[in-house]
Amino acid sequence: MTPEREPVALTPSDELAHLRLLHLADSALPIGSLAHSFGLETLVSVELLHVGDLPDFLHGYLREAAMLEAVACREAFRLAQPDGKEFDAIQWIEINDCLSALKPARESRMASATLGRNFLHAALGLGDFRLLRKARDTSLECGGLIHQCAAFGLVSGVLGFEETRAVLAYLHQVSACLVSACQRLMPLGQTEATRILWNLKPAIVEVGADSASLNLETVPCTMPLLDWGAMEHPALATRLFIS
Amino acid sequence: MAATAKHALQESTPELSRRGRAQALLRLNFSLDSTSGHTFLADSYQDAPLKVVRAFTMEDGTALAHLHNVSGGLLGGDRLAMQVNLAAGTKVQLTTTGATRIYRNREGFSAAMQGNEISVGEGALLEYLPDAMIPFAGSRYLQRTSIDLAPGAGMFWWEIVAPGREASGELFEYKEFAMRTSVSAMGRRIAAENLCLRPRQENVSSLARLGPYRYAATLYICRVNLEAGAWRGAEDQLRELTAALTRRGEILWGVSSLVAHGLLVRCLARNGREVLPGLQAVWRSAKRHLYGQEAIPPRKVN
Repeated sequence: MTPEREPVALTPSDELAHLRLLHLADSALPIGSLAHSFGLETLVSVELLHVGDLPDFLHGYLREAAMLEAVACREAFRLAQPDGKEFDAIQWIEINDCLSALKPARESRMASATLGRNFLHAALGLGDFRLLRKARDTSLECGGLIHQCAAFGLVSGVLGFEETRAVLAYLHQVSACLVSACQRLMPLGQTEATRILWNLKPAIVEVGADSASLNLETVPCTMPLLDWGAMEHPALATRLFIS
Repeated sequence: MAATAKHALQESTPELSRRGRAQALLRLNFSLDSTSGHTFLADSYQDAPLKVVRAFTMEDGTALAHLHNVSGGLLGGDRLAMQVNLAAGTKVQLTTTGATRIYRNREGFSAAMQGNEISVGEGALLEYLPDAMIPFAGSRYLQRTSIDLAPGAGMFWWEIVAPGREASGELFEYKEFAMRTSVSAMGRRIAAENLCLRPRQENVSSLARLGPYRYAATLYICRVNLEAGAWRGAEDQLRELTAALTRRGEILWGVSSLVAHGLLVRCLARNGREVLPGLQAVWRSAKRHLYGQEAIPPRKVN
């Protein structure tokens, strides 16, 4: 394949940051991402969602649920860039509380929180990050959840990644995990799955860009059918996924 | 308080500076008669077109008020605000006199808007049981609702969104329907929804949104400070009921615990006939489970 433009030479520090971002955004990072379908399993189980529907479904998912998470990821990222100010622990709690409130299905909410906690724990094992420790401890003290998108944003900010790249990497990981879940739920082969994920990239870039002008109070998220799927997931007779 | 509600609505929507029609506030303050134990409408402020004729006392001492829009519906440029305050220990049931019609937006008018600020005092119970909202072809509607629950406060709150005038074959021909809802308990947010449907800009029938369904309904069931384990029990019980109400391909019901203090019930349906009876069935079951009391439907649906 011919690249659209010449690759930009990265400085050594850019290269290191790039590799670190690839590592943390890899869907194979052992935090449990691949154990969750976030309600998809129900939609497949009741024969609502088929392979042919996936491109449209995933585009819609990106515009709704993933947009919400991209906005939260950005807001958390900015907490790590305080311009010499103290870490805003109250804002950290509010971002996560807002996400908890906006996720109506218990299983999906807890899945997001489990992945967030695991991700933050994994990041804390990579170095001595005072701000990350404070975020974790504050959430523990308040009994609040730590959502994956918020944890990813905060860790990305602490590690000095570029904001939009971090958001795009997060969105890509979410998309990859959903496509991977579909491979296990549907007759979706490797080649077709790769093509679907490849074709999603322009939409990922668009959502990443649009998320910059929104905030958590106003970002729309309308996915009632998937919400229903996530709510009913505990009632499925047989389940491959935790959510 | 009245100025605050209007200001909040204006702040939330820059378009309000554009050409508008009615600006109205409906404020209802409910108190408890310590002698009879009945709830009564202690104070109200009503701008047309929003009206409440009076509050009726129900057999269990609950005050029932019918919300009435004397215009017959919402028009482009309307900026309506509703404030409802329930004093400690009160019991209030609010309903509408009929479906809320949202009329076609005339050229040059901003979206019809309604802001709701609801405060439920300590140990009080609010039952908000309106008819469906029907956005007509070409309409635009923005709603913002903020609900605050004090310790021990309870709430049953449902909203039903129709796809348009279904009987006339008008489906998803509106321009925009947006509802932003936030529910807090003792100052901490427990539920929120930022629903936004723009059928002319996006495929609302995508499986990522409504799929093959046309009606969407949400029911919040809250009681602050009930122990967390009780909600899982209530969820399990209501799941049996919602499973019985579900007929795949026609109507779906789902239930889940909120992050704290409550449950959320979601319904998606191809037509509206079974939505209201289903909501009433869930409400009856939940009220029996959480309060040990029978739900009394508002007089108009008896």
